[in-house]
Amino acid sequence: MTLASANEIVLEFGEIHPFFAGLLIELPKVAAAHDRGANRLYPAPAAAGEQELCADWREVVQPGLQHLFAANRDLVARDLDSWETSGTGENLLVPRRHVDAWLNTLNQARLIVVEANHFTEEDLDASVPPDLSSRRGLALLKVHFYAHVQELMLETLR
Amino acid sequence: MSAGVASPDAETRDERSVASPWNVIVHNDPVNLMSYVTMVFQRVLGFTKDRATRHMLEVHHQGRSLVWSGGREQAEAIVEQLHGYLLLATLEQEKS
Repeated sequence: MTLASANEIVLEFGEIHPFFAGLLIELPKVAAAHDRGANRLYPAPAAAGEQELCADWREVVQPGLQHLFAANRDLVARDLDSWETSGTGENLLVPRRHVDAWLNTLNQARLIVVEANHFTEEDLDASVPPDLSSRRGLALLKVHFYAHVQELMLETLR
Repeated sequence: MSAGVASPDAETRDERSVASPWNVIVHNDPVNLMSYVTMVFQRVLGFTKDRATRHMLEVHHQGRSLVWSGGREQAEAIVEQLHGYLLLATLEQEKS
């Protein structure tokens, strides 16, 4: 997969293998499974001893974060819908103004998959390729693929 | 209770908040990319690339980095922004 600036307004992903196109298409759905990673997506803002602060945070700040994360997923879903409509054999176009939403949504998805599968730092840093015959191996591949997309975007922005 | 008289608890709290700043701490997590964390530090905290990289490496190697210190409200606002980028951040009051 490649990523380049089509122009000042749009980034363009090319040479996307159909398998990875499938992983991209399912990104908003994966990132929306917040029940599987809520602890990590909405961490406490302070140590447990700061009970009042933590309670206020859940009441006041968390809804705003939920709204932010959902808005980011919606933008990504919109880009992916356009891509699916034109056929995923074509290049995927991402407006530069959507890149933050993409980075955020990719992070949501990665955190959720890691939480749901209880991946450790050791799992994530393993030098051997994941076992793709298992669901866990496929999940690990997904985490790495979404990281790769993030890296491509960050490199292009630099 | 009259408006002009502070309770002992309130006085203690006020003295504590005046005396000790609140620290914003970013904690290590195995998921966020190093390049992403560096970018977030630049954006949220206004760090230069070098300073952002230094703090990112501190998080990576030491498990945490103190990235900001000051008033409570601003510390909360920074932690909220960092959570918006999905970084693990907390605030804690400096022990005097």
